[in-house]
Amino acid sequence: MNMQTTSRLTAAESALIDAYTGQLGELPGNGAVISARDRLVDDLKTNGLPTRRVEAWHYTDLKTLLRSVPMDAGTGSADAIEPLVAGAHVIGTRQGQIVGKPSVEGVVVGAFADMLREGTAAPGLSVIDRDDTIGKINGSFVRDGLVLEFPAGVTVEQPIEIQALHGAGQAHTRFPVSFGAGSKAVVIERHAQTGEGSAFVSSVSDISLEDGADVTWIVLQQQGADDTHLGQVRIRVGENAKLKLFVVNAGGKLVRQELRVDVAGEGAELSLRGVNLLGGDTHTDVTLVLGHNVPNTNSTEIFRNVVFDRARGVFQGMIKVALDAQKTDARMACNTLLMSDDAEFAAKPELEIFADDVQCGHGATVADIDDNHLYYLMARGIPRNHARAMLVNAFVAEIVEELEDEALVEALEGVISTWLAKHA
Amino acid sequence: MAAVQETIDQVRQIDVDQYKYGFETAIEVEKAPKGLSEEIVRFISAKKQEPEWMLEWRLDAYRRWLTMEEPTWARVDYPKIDFNDIYYYAAPKSASGPKSLDEVDPELLKTYEKLGIPLKEQEILAGVEKPRVAVDAVFDSVSVVTTFKKELAKAGVIFMSISEAVREHPELVKKYLGSVVPVTDNYYATLNSAVFTDGSFVFVPKGVRCPMELSTYFRINEKNTGQFERTLIIAEEGAYVSYLEGCTAPQRDENQLHAAVVELVALDDAEIKYSTVQNWFPGDKQGKGGIYNFVTKRGDCRGDRSKISWTQVETGSAITWKYPSCILRGDDSRGEFYSIAVSNGHQQVDSGTKMIHLGKNTSSRIISKGIAAGVSQNTYRGQVSAHRKATNARNFTQCDSLLIGDRCGAHTVPYIEAKNSSAQFEHEATTSKISEDQLFYCLQRGIPEEAAIALIVNGFVKEVIQELPMEFAVEAQKLIGISLEGSVG
Amino acid sequence: MLEIKNLHARIAEDGTEIIRGLNLTVKAGEVAAIMGPNGSGKSTLSYILSGREDYEVTEGDILYNGESILELDPAERAARGIFLAFQYPVEIPGVATMQFLKVAMNEQRKARGEAELTTPDFMRRVKEAAAELKINPDMLKRPLNVGFSGGEKKRAEILQMALLEPKLCVLDETDSGLDIDALKIVADGVNALKSPDRATIVITHYQRLLDYIVPDTVHVLYKGQIIRTGDKDLALELEANGYADIIGQAA
Repeated sequence: MNMQTTSRLTAAESALIDAYTGQLGELPGNGAVISARDRLVDDLKTNGLPTRRVEAWHYTDLKTLLRSVPMDAGTGSADAIEPLVAGAHVIGTRQGQIVGKPSVEGVVVGAFADMLREGTAAPGLSVIDRDDTIGKINGSFVRDGLVLEFPAGVTVEQPIEIQALHGAGQAHTRFPVSFGAGSKAVVIERHAQTGEGSAFVSSVSDISLEDGADVTWIVLQQQGADDTHLGQVRIRVGENAKLKLFVVNAGGKLVRQELRVDVAGEGAELSLRGVNLLGGDTHTDVTLVLGHNVPNTNSTEIFRNVVFDRARGVFQGMIKVALDAQKTDARMACNTLLMSDDAEFAAKPELEIFADDVQCGHGATVADIDDNHLYYLMARGIPRNHARAMLVNAFVAEIVEELEDEALVEALEGVISTWLAKHA
Repeated sequence: MAAVQETIDQVRQIDVDQYKYGFETAIEVEKAPKGLSEEIVRFISAKKQEPEWMLEWRLDAYRRWLTMEEPTWARVDYPKIDFNDIYYYAAPKSASGPKSLDEVDPELLKTYEKLGIPLKEQEILAGVEKPRVAVDAVFDSVSVVTTFKKELAKAGVIFMSISEAVREHPELVKKYLGSVVPVTDNYYATLNSAVFTDGSFVFVPKGVRCPMELSTYFRINEKNTGQFERTLIIAEEGAYVSYLEGCTAPQRDENQLHAAVVELVALDDAEIKYSTVQNWFPGDKQGKGGIYNFVTKRGDCRGDRSKISWTQVETGSAITWKYPSCILRGDDSRGEFYSIAVSNGHQQVDSGTKMIHLGKNTSSRIISKGIAAGVSQNTYRGQVSAHRKATNARNFTQCDSLLIGDRCGAHTVPYIEAKNSSAQFEHEATTSKISEDQLFYCLQRGIPEEAAIALIVNGFVKEVIQELPMEFAVEAQKLIGISLEGSVG
Repeated sequence: MLEIKNLHARIAEDGTEIIRGLNLTVKAGEVAAIMGPNGSGKSTLSYILSGREDYEVTEGDILYNGESILELDPAERAARGIFLAFQYPVEIPGVATMQFLKVAMNEQRKARGEAELTTPDFMRRVKEAAAELKINPDMLKRPLNVGFSGGEKKRAEILQMALLEPKLCVLDETDSGLDIDALKIVADGVNALKSPDRATIVITHYQRLLDYIVPDTVHVLYKGQIIRTGDKDLALELEANGYADIIGQAA
């Protein structure tokens, strides 16, 4: 479907290939890893970046949107920032590399760079499918990341915050995380620019939940106004496991956040939530591919988008129900508020269903603030602008409140209201 | 529920061979040589006694088509079509052009009688209660007869085959042909532009409400023959017309291509209602044969307050690739799309609509009901977009899928694009099987299962059936029943 | 306090005229009841008083303390003391009730040039008013009106009225959907707010509410006009004989 023969590379495509050649000597990895990287770069060379003709990238024509790529891995040192929730275990990367020796009690913490050097990372440096451009870029350039292993039965009381911080330049991280049977934890994957200048960031979190694991995974993207952020979360959910996946986009210039979820164990329960705060002259794409692959699983997906200024937002959400996945119950909603006449939003919620005994649905709305709500607030004496701000806040806060953990809810609401105060 | 299992088993055994229109008419035909070339395009144009400009138009389309590639984005799967293995022109020898009823070959009349299509004006007149319907009958590549022409002409309505229109009303054809679906719109539309053979032309002048339903009945009879129908409907300011098309084909082992283009133009305050009951041969139970139905249908709400409404009941064809769309250009214009797509056996359906909001205060409504059975794949694909200047654009979309049996697939692919903050789009989709609660309720009230399923399916599609002209609603309901036979009694 | 002069108004979207030359005067301290059959324009009148944009005034004027309010938006009218207790209070998910109350009270105070309330002061006021109206504090923890029963919604409206201390209270079918106990609580709440400088307009279909909130004047609204004005006995007459007689006389 997407065979493209790229005779001419764009500036960004050439820059990517040149950057790879330039960095080759520094990239960690044994022979197997190097040849895996080479294959991915070759693929990029032959096929180029995806255009709108590639269905999976229909609304994010990366070939056109990605104008330039900084050559080098950034070298600026980024300072740690205050964790979202006080008392959290803070670990992380700076400019794509681990500093010091991070540890969290009860969790086995390793370095992805070691996996690259030893070659155990090689099989993972592959693409999920031909349209997995993020997998290609990340696999080519990744230098480090944290490897977390939650032993079976362990409960980590305080949230763990992975801070992937960087200044200008390139930063590519990968986080293989496994949650053992019955383990329980809250992890915040936080991406932020703490320096100046433009950055090109890719990150892949490769997560598995074993039977009965109970995990809340939060992606908080707060990149700088000139940054490109290509994020991917791959998750496999085992039997009776519970996953709360929460994505907040509140930054970046060109952002694609992919969520690739494989519901692989019966009795699994998923709640996927997203809040996209879009402003300025930016482009943000959240793409979800959710595969219900076994019987008796359920999921709900709610994404709320608020679009200001000249921002463009995209939501693609596909629910796939496999042939044998009877009794699947999956519901998806994508609601958008367009706050300016120059704002744009495109939604493509898809259902692909091969099992008959299922209940699946999706809803999508694009609208302005509800006039009835506005009128009610104004009838109580709240001036129009204040009333609008309240309603926008409410529109996204409603999703955040589902997290239940009070400290977490409060912290995320803080992120949202700070962002809105700046943009609204 | 064991009973349900039984139903599923029955569906599996569905004999698509019960296609009731699969007979063939033995009639002498004149064909163009097989294959596609400039010569063939010239041949068709000459056969139609077309003026030079029409030939040039076709040749231009043909040359452009040669540079294009077949689209592959739809969720349909079929072996590559050899476009040189198709006859692009076939006409009953006796029918060199549409003429009066008494001159039509009796063999042809018999065919239409068998299909239940009324071609005799008197007969229709005799039926007191039946509303009158004017029919244009297209057999392979030519229109064999158009009824009620004179009476329609009295009201100022032009209803004739497009071949005639090219000769008799060249100024209208020139002005509107290709103005909604440009020559290079897509691969099949371009092909159609080069080789279209016949179809209907309707022109309703300013302020006229067309006095009867118009309809075209398409029949593919010849083997290895493609049908490239071209329909053009124009409703001038304040005009109204309701148009219906029906289609059938004999049962054959090979696949046949039907690549049509339909263009509708509605000027200020005009309304066009376009209904389709599509029942091309769907292929046999092994998935052999059947029509490839690759169709481009588009309406242009060119005028303010204009309205175009598409209603389709799709039960036939091996593959359906069709997205009747509305371009809402005029302020306050409205587009509607009501669809029932039933797939059974090995059928593949990828159908839906596009609502392109360009004008201010435009609104659209999409109701799509997909029913998948057998090993079929049924996809709804729809686009709703509001452009920057489309202030207050409104859309409501409801698209529901019903799965009967566990070997079929139902898919929903909406594209929702808003570039105007005052736009309000609402989209809802569901996929499920027949509710066991509903079924149980019916059974408990003493309704046998087959009847209960029929009842529930009919309830499921009711919103769309209601949009059809009355006399076709009944037919459509029956057709859905037949298409699902084995599960619906 | 309120003077409506030859008011004509229509639905903005389709131009349907609802109010057709309505005249009404309500004095400070007065309780005025507006009664009328379904579709006579009662709720529309309440919306127009509060400034809802779905309606257009085409003729006439509304004077509030001698000044026209037609150019004011709903928030400005509210800040000047006009309060509408809705027949169907809208649910607003995500907006916490307490937050809403605080913002509304402070915005009105700001508009009047008064100091904002401190949090403890605000909490105290809400607690007291809620207790008066027998409102369960848990209810106030929920998002605004979300999941409230019909009776709870009405009580929440009266709670807001008590907290916002308006000058002109408009109660739109406040009795609908209330059982007798709830009705008494609501009526007590309204009566407690009665004062010489405050006027109340009670819009209702039935006499029942007027047993508890006794009106000084009763006005019959029909086809967008006041066709009859009287004292509280007029309401009883309507209860006994229905609207048909009065409508007949007016026609």
